[in-house]
Amino acid sequence: MSDDPSNSETINTLPELLAHALAMETEAAERYGELADQMETHRKAAVAKIFRRLEQAEKEHLGELTEMCSKVDLPHIAPWDFKWRHNESPEVIDFTKVHYQLSVREAILLAFEHERKAAEFYAGIAQTTTDTEVQKLARQFAAEEQQHIGWLEAWLAECGPGDALATEDPDPPLCQE
Amino acid sequence: MESCAQKKKYAAKDYKSELKPIWCPGCGDYTVLNAITRALAELALPPEEVAVVSGIGCSSRIPAYTSVYGFHGVHGRALPVATGLKLARPDLTVLVTGGDGDGFSIGGNHFLHACRRNVDLTYIVMDNQVYGMTKGQASPTTAPDWEGSKLTPEGTGINPFQPLVVGLAAGANFIARVSSSDPINMAKIMVEAIRHPGFSLVQVLSPCVTFRPEQQEWRDTVRTAVVDYTDDAARAARRLMTDDGFNVGKVLYKGSRPPFRPEFENSNGSIAELEARFAL
Amino acid sequence: MTINSVSLVIAGSGGAGVVTAGSLLLDAAAKAGWYALMSRSSGPQIRGGEAAAMLRFATEPVMSLDDSFHLLMAIDWDNITRFSAEIPLTAASLIVGDPAHGEAPAGLLGNNPRQAAFPMSEIAGRIETGRPNMVALGAIAAMIGLPPEAMQAVVEDNLKRKGQAAIDASMAAFHAGFAAAAHLPAIPRLPAVATSSGPRWSITGNEATGLGVIRGGVRFVAAYPITPATEVLEWLAPSLAKVGGMLVQAEDELASINQIIGASYGGVPAMTATSGPGLSLMIESLGLAVAAEVPLVVVDVMRVGPSTGIATKSEQSDLNIAVYGLHGDAPHIVVAANSVSDCLFTTQWAVHLAEAMQAPALVLTDQAMGQARAILPKPAELAFIGQRLTATAAVEGERYKRYAMTGSGVSPMAIPGTPGLAHTADGLEHNEFGTPSSQASDHLAQMDKRSRKISQFNYGDHWADIEDSEVGAGDTAIITWGSSTGPAREALRRHAAAGGKARLISLRLIAPVQPEKMAVALNGIKRAVVVEQSHSGQFHRMLRAFYDLPAKTVSLHQGGPLAFGPNQILEQLNELNAGSA
Repeated sequence: MSDDPSNSETINTLPELLAHALAMETEAAERYGELADQMETHRKAAVAKIFRRLEQAEKEHLGELTEMCSKVDLPHIAPWDFKWRHNESPEVIDFTKVHYQLSVREAILLAFEHERKAAEFYAGIAQTTTDTEVQKLARQFAAEEQQHIGWLEAWLAECGPGDALATEDPDPPLCQE
Repeated sequence: MESCAQKKKYAAKDYKSELKPIWCPGCGDYTVLNAITRALAELALPPEEVAVVSGIGCSSRIPAYTSVYGFHGVHGRALPVATGLKLARPDLTVLVTGGDGDGFSIGGNHFLHACRRNVDLTYIVMDNQVYGMTKGQASPTTAPDWEGSKLTPEGTGINPFQPLVVGLAAGANFIARVSSSDPINMAKIMVEAIRHPGFSLVQVLSPCVTFRPEQQEWRDTVRTAVVDYTDDAARAARRLMTDDGFNVGKVLYKGSRPPFRPEFENSNGSIAELEARFAL
Repeated sequence: MTINSVSLVIAGSGGAGVVTAGSLLLDAAAKAGWYALMSRSSGPQIRGGEAAAMLRFATEPVMSLDDSFHLLMAIDWDNITRFSAEIPLTAASLIVGDPAHGEAPAGLLGNNPRQAAFPMSEIAGRIETGRPNMVALGAIAAMIGLPPEAMQAVVEDNLKRKGQAAIDASMAAFHAGFAAAAHLPAIPRLPAVATSSGPRWSITGNEATGLGVIRGGVRFVAAYPITPATEVLEWLAPSLAKVGGMLVQAEDELASINQIIGASYGGVPAMTATSGPGLSLMIESLGLAVAAEVPLVVVDVMRVGPSTGIATKSEQSDLNIAVYGLHGDAPHIVVAANSVSDCLFTTQWAVHLAEAMQAPALVLTDQAMGQARAILPKPAELAFIGQRLTATAAVEGERYKRYAMTGSGVSPMAIPGTPGLAHTADGLEHNEFGTPSSQASDHLAQMDKRSRKISQFNYGDHWADIEDSEVGAGDTAIITWGSSTGPAREALRRHAAAGGKARLISLRLIAPVQPEKMAVALNGIKRAVVVEQSHSGQFHRMLRAFYDLPAKTVSLHQGGPLAFGPNQILEQLNELNAGSA
């Protein structure tokens, strides 16, 4: 990454945008998958299902993106040099934000927050970039994230009121090693 | 910018095994595992040339969750296992992972001498100030007035162990503290720690969501250290005097002591020469 | 045939040069073409403590110290009675003391030994920088038939750095002692030996132990100093460096054992040496080596226990901890050396066994053989080299199973650096992949595998040294192990000299037990004596638990530090036979 300050807040080339998108979608797919694994390991099927559906959605997204990137020579960007700097990519839920009694509603709200951040990231690029190609693609990506947000809104509406009560565990934690 | 094909041979995912962690959702250790795999990918190390060694505890489960060579030993002895491995196989990159109890209580003596000996290892300690595997007892880094354990209902009454102070005093060659609420920077510092020759100590504030749920507030308590690293141990020591344990995200100290590596007088000798000394 | 030998002790307080005198005498005996064994005893002081060098010379290999000494050469009497139990004297023994230091203490005179005065300090005083210990050596040489030329050569070697004047002064004192000894009463003399008795070595048990592991392939050692194992490490440190290996001084024994686990996991054969207290600390991690299937060798140079016990003296009392000390069911290998030279064989064999079975092998030696120096026939070259079954390439489409079920129980081990075979070795119970598992089926399958590889291994004839007396095995056996084997061998010879038949069975393989081989060895045996240096008879109890012993089996056991003398075992043998005649 260039350290030129004029270039540090936005993205002005297609390969750079694609590198960001690829990293973000890869991490999002992996993270949703890992969260689904965690919830399955802890026998939280309903929440696991939400994360698994999101993983699938991101994987589809990722598939298209990978196809798009295959003909482009992408730059290597270190994890700390992405435009989202010193943070994980916007679409990724922080591991420490979940807990094992996470309700379906909480899971959807968490995902909602990060899908929204992802959409905002692309929208921000579209607004500030000087490159029209980049602008066009960033808008397309932002729209795709909006689609995910639409799904999450629908899932949230389907969420029953009883869900929020399922947060008590009558069994104490266990001794292991 | 280097092109992808030239530089990036490995993705973080390539360093993860198929085994699913048993850690509680919300545990800081997930972030550490991710930071380790990100760091290894960034260093583009072939997985077979890396080994992760651990003792016992939640965080000591990490080796099996990676796709590199791993060794999961007994409680408190990860550092000597790693020392033997690195000395016998200097071609390997050796990481050690573990918790505060494993490293600073039962393994405390090894911690001192690993810092002193300065073998080229990277020691990542996930500090959550509690024993998670045994249901939440006080650890050496627990505050003296913490009353959350039946074992010490009135608190331990003992001042907590100071890993960085002790590490510095004992001779660690690289010292940093990071927070699991800052995953990307954690990966960056791990890359530096692995690259730095000698014994590197990385303390990770890694909350225990089950036994110390209040630690989730750490994400708001921690602050990025204001100054960059020093190569002057005395200066680092002065900084630690005013440290409250929540200055994170930067390397505190980078020393230049050469790593421990025994010298051989003549490795071309034969056993017959050794035997000749016994002959009359 | 009984051995034609002479036994003597040189004793004195710190600064008297007793230990040096013993070494010089041993080296001179070697030059003269004799065989010898020397052990030492000393007080607890770091410097200046009373010390005794106990030597036995013969014209054929020496297996143990004798029941008593022909000569006690006392440079002075300071605290000598501390050793009186370790210096058995008879009416035929001779005490030679310096009148300048007064009378011999009553504690030495229980059996009425002969006494003679010999003014060592006065004779030494007539020579510039002459020392009484060299005068004593001169007298000893004259009495036992050691040619002065042999001593001349040794003194020249030893004092080369101090210059010709020092050599001359020492030899002057030696010759003065040699001449003045003419009036002393006689003790047995050895004949001069033709130097064609074959190549001989001068080596201690601890050095032989070090050489054995290097021969076996060990190239990494981590250890913490402990008496009486330290000399193993002191010999290994420079020697390993010469053959491309290394020794690391660890912070404690917990670190030693875990460092060698790490090195061995990395593919480099590894060992450590310690004594009882250190072994106690290593036990948990020995279990780790069992579970994670990491080959390694731990040598325990046994000393008197429990606790710190008597650090400088010998006992065969770590058998129980070596065999049973590990928690859980933890199949491992325990072997024991039975002489100074066997330290070499047994440790080399142990490396071979550990590597072949990917398991920890404990080697029991002890202070008596470890710190003893022997002039012995050059040990044979052995073919045992540690060879580990490794996995070298990934199989397409198959995930590597570190702990794969195999007929032998040994699974090919992938060494770090091998592409496609990365795995985690684990001390937690695991499945074939090494993934932690708490399932009964995995535990039982892995237990069976770990047990199978140890129990089904072909140990060949090395499990025991079996020797029949020259007149036949008869129906009586001596069953023993370790350091007690030397005096037992000699008891067998003395028994044969009186026409007695017997078989000696000295177990080298302590665990796993070999009941079928023992049954063959005990075929036709009706009576047995079990000999061991343990207060509680640990070996006897173990034999009782695992072997069908003859109906009439008696236990001859005593706690350390006193070693058995051959006659002590012979008497037990005679008693056993008399009772059943």
